Amino acid sequence: MTVWRFERTHVLIKRVIFLSCFFFVLFCILAGRLFYLQVLQGEKYLLLAEKNRLSVRLTLAPRGYIYDRNGVKLAENKKTFQAVLIKEQAKDYKKTLKRFNDLLPLDEDENKRIERDISRKRAFMPVRIKDNLTFEEMSLLQLNAPDLDGIVIEEGINRYYGAGDSSTHVVGYVSLLNDKDLEGDKENPLFDLPGYRIGRLGIEQAFEEKLQGKPGIRKTEVNVYGRSVRVLEDTPPVPGEDVHLTIDSRLQKYGLEIFGKESGSLILTDVRTGEILSLVSAPSFDPNLFTVPLSVKNWKKLSENPKTPLQNKAIAGLYSPGSTFKIILTLAGLGGKDMTANTRVKCTGRTKLGNQLFHCWKRAGHGPVNAVEALKHSCDVFYYEKSQDIGVDKIVDMANKLGFGRLTGIELAGEKKGLLPSREWKEAVKGDGWRMGDTLNLSIGQGFLNATPVQLAKMITVVANGVNDVPLTLIKKETKATDNVSLLGIPKSHLNVVYKGMNAVVNEKEGTAYGSRFTYKGQKMAGKTASTQVRRISLKERQEGIKSQDELPWKYRDHAMFVAFAPVNKPRYAVAVVVEHGGGGAKTAAPIASKMLQEVLRLEYDDAQKKKETKK
Amino acid sequence: MSFFKDRNCYLKNYNLSLMDKIRLFSWPFLALICLVVFIGLMLLYSAGNGNWDPWASKQFLRFLMSLGILFFISLTNLRLWMKYAYVIYAMALILLVGVEFFGHVGMGAQRWLNLGFVKVQPSEVMKIALVLALARYFHGASLDEVRSIRFMIPPLMLMGMPVALILLQPDLGTALMLVFASVALFFLVGVQIWKFVVVGVGGLISIPVLWMCLHDYQKQRVLTFLNPESDPRGAGYHIMQSKITLGSGGVFGKGFMEGTQSRLNFLPEKQTDFIFTVLSEEFGLVGSLFLLFLYGVIIAYGFIIGLRCNNFFGKLLAFGLTINFALYVFINMGMVMGLMPVVGVPLPLVSYGGTAMLTLFFGFGLIECVNINREMVIGRRGSIDDE
Repeated sequence: MTVWRFERTHVLIKRVIFLSCFFFVLFCILAGRLFYLQVLQGEKYLLLAEKNRLSVRLTLAPRGYIYDRNGVKLAENKKTFQAVLIKEQAKDYKKTLKRFNDLLPLDEDENKRIERDISRKRAFMPVRIKDNLTFEEMSLLQLNAPDLDGIVIEEGINRYYGAGDSSTHVVGYVSLLNDKDLEGDKENPLFDLPGYRIGRLGIEQAFEEKLQGKPGIRKTEVNVYGRSVRVLEDTPPVPGEDVHLTIDSRLQKYGLEIFGKESGSLILTDVRTGEILSLVSAPSFDPNLFTVPLSVKNWKKLSENPKTPLQNKAIAGLYSPGSTFKIILTLAGLGGKDMTANTRVKCTGRTKLGNQLFHCWKRAGHGPVNAVEALKHSCDVFYYEKSQDIGVDKIVDMANKLGFGRLTGIELAGEKKGLLPSREWKEAVKGDGWRMGDTLNLSIGQGFLNATPVQLAKMITVVANGVNDVPLTLIKKETKATDNVSLLGIPKSHLNVVYKGMNAVVNEKEGTAYGSRFTYKGQKMAGKTASTQVRRISLKERQEGIKSQDELPWKYRDHAMFVAFAPVNKPRYAVAVVVEHGGGGAKTAAPIASKMLQEVLRLEYDDAQKKKETKK
Repeated sequence: MSFFKDRNCYLKNYNLSLMDKIRLFSWPFLALICLVVFIGLMLLYSAGNGNWDPWASKQFLRFLMSLGILFFISLTNLRLWMKYAYVIYAMALILLVGVEFFGHVGMGAQRWLNLGFVKVQPSEVMKIALVLALARYFHGASLDEVRSIRFMIPPLMLMGMPVALILLQPDLGTALMLVFASVALFFLVGVQIWKFVVVGVGGLISIPVLWMCLHDYQKQRVLTFLNPESDPRGAGYHIMQSKITLGSGGVFGKGFMEGTQSRLNFLPEKQTDFIFTVLSEEFGLVGSLFLLFLYGVIIAYGFIIGLRCNNFFGKLLAFGLTINFALYVFINMGMVMGLMPVVGVPLPLVSYGGTAMLTLFFGFGLIECVNINREMVIGRRGSIDDE
């Protein structure tokens, strides 16, 4: 071995040792880094990995059904077939959509919505193209399936309202989410679910939470593309609870029918329990139109109709109660010292207050009338005169007691409170003291006062009940409705005066609603008419000869009202009817009320007969 | 064979029979290598969601083929490699030039050359050829020669030419490996340390210039490396997910085939450069350290073979190839753990891929060859007669 070789080998060994040490350090750094990532930061990264892989999805609970009092389904879930597009299964989804449109044209808004959904969702997620396919549409799609790559027909669930338009304003409807919903609650995880619908009106809206149930939770493992790989945890949804209503679908249908082309509302109640047997707002519309995206044409038709089918007039329509308020006046008067059942007032056709004249509807006057006769003839002067003795405070007290100026508590969203004026109210809102003229206007249910039809129904129900202040309800309860009810506290003798008067209105010849008396013998109804001015007939019009309500344009005619109960001797059912611009209460509202009461009594009889038969 | 007869000097007193060679073959070294390969196959099986396809079975076939090559190379005569070192280097360089003009583009870089019957990656060939050439060059060099700057110009060129060509492809990872391996060899043969310091400082100063020469995607990689969280869905995705995969394994891992990150594809290309994360996720710190340990033992073994060898060419060859292997390990793990930018270096013996496996086994074959021929005396110019 030569020296130079020894030399360089010596250096080599030294440097190999150095290099080995260097490598060892590198290994230590790697091991340290592993320790840092896997032990010190391990939990953080484990969490991130879990976040990567877990996806929590909600599954919709089946919505609860809505039944009428006899167990007829008013709202149910029905299997539907819908066409969906799965982008990744289509060669060119735009072409597929075009062909679909050739077969089943969709309107422009829908096509826009579809494009938006496709761009927003992942390629394997189905996008709804068309809901509620009919059998014909399905076979058409199936025939053309080879040209419609990416289109899949899926089973879905939609809400179905078997009663059609007859119970819309009670039952309501559900519809898909609109942009406003999405804006309002961006965090709601339910909003991501296709086919998620929200109750928009009536019971569907008011009982949304109960009907909706609890969504199921589905925890799945997803891969990097978001595709579900396996189910880790699956909590099934809790189905929504059913709601049993007090309404009778037969009466709903009949009620809407007898309104004909009129616009208005009626509420039929059981006076013993306060249960609402029928609540109709006319005209109505088919709620099934809303469960699928509503076409622009239909929306325009509904929203531009002057008879406002979208509004529930029974709870949201405000009217001067007019002469129906005379029932309140009678009860308020009898409660005081200034008036008894026999107190007479001479009606000369007008009352003078200062230098202001208040006219009775009958210019010639009614002569001397007592409380019963005043109701029968709907004599205004009687109330003008007596209200001055009674005073506004007592009138307001009685009106408040019978439900004016406050919500009835009916289980529907959107009920209006109406307005029951009082000294305090006028002071606060108008900044003006209460004047006697206001009392006179109030006495015949005019002036500031306004109320909803359901408030009228509440009044007549309680009056007909006579004992209990029964709350109106739409929900069938297990317990007897009269259990937790407070007493009305009006002496029977006072009520009898009202009953007598209301009986005379319908069943005596000069009564304002004599024409609407029951067509059969054995049972009678009692009622009170009202016609409230929408607009005064101008002097010019009078001179031109337009006098009759019929000759005025529809929207200027008086509102017609009628509150009634039957049978007279043993009140069982009460009804309140408002016909918008119906002219006179006796002419349009009373016949509807009469028919309705006769129908409910007939049904009660029929049902009892049937029960007897089945028992035998 | 006329070559041997004419020179009559080659196998003087050193004519090993096949049996001798098999006896001198280091079986433990091979066993260690095979163990790592088996770990790799297991991980590929897991990465394929419990399937031999598409990766594990193919990799196994490559392993068998590579094993054959290893045996063949180990049984060759070490002198032949000494003799043909420059020829091999020249051929590798020609291939590298060829790839510039006729190469296939893959992953945005020209790396493959189709020779008709086989596709080769000249940069892989160069990893061995450069070590061979440098070992040959320094075999007869005295310490004084090594310390002269003029003597160092040819080896620097040997290194510089392929590095330049590979950077053109562009393949930063391989270029770095060639530079590091060469520098390590220069260090071992005795180049003064101050020279490294001077070049190192010079390199640091020239970083801004080099930055200008980098491709946009390379710049992006370096930037993302520095701050992966800045763009978690884009360029930083790899590093971020790599760290999540690794870290989520904890101490004992999630269990074989239970790694969620790899199974659910959160880590793209997990079968190649990022295979280490599969191990870390499923076997935790324990498994990761075990593999790290195996690598350490293999490197140490390589060094021991180098130290034991009596001829300088064999020594340098063993060191050079072992250092190459070590660089694979450091660079790959460094980038997977987020200590280095992602430069595209596979984890040796474990990552899916044929070329790297073949190159590595070729290298191990040479190391075994060095081990078998450790007593061989090789003259300064390749002959047996000394001086």
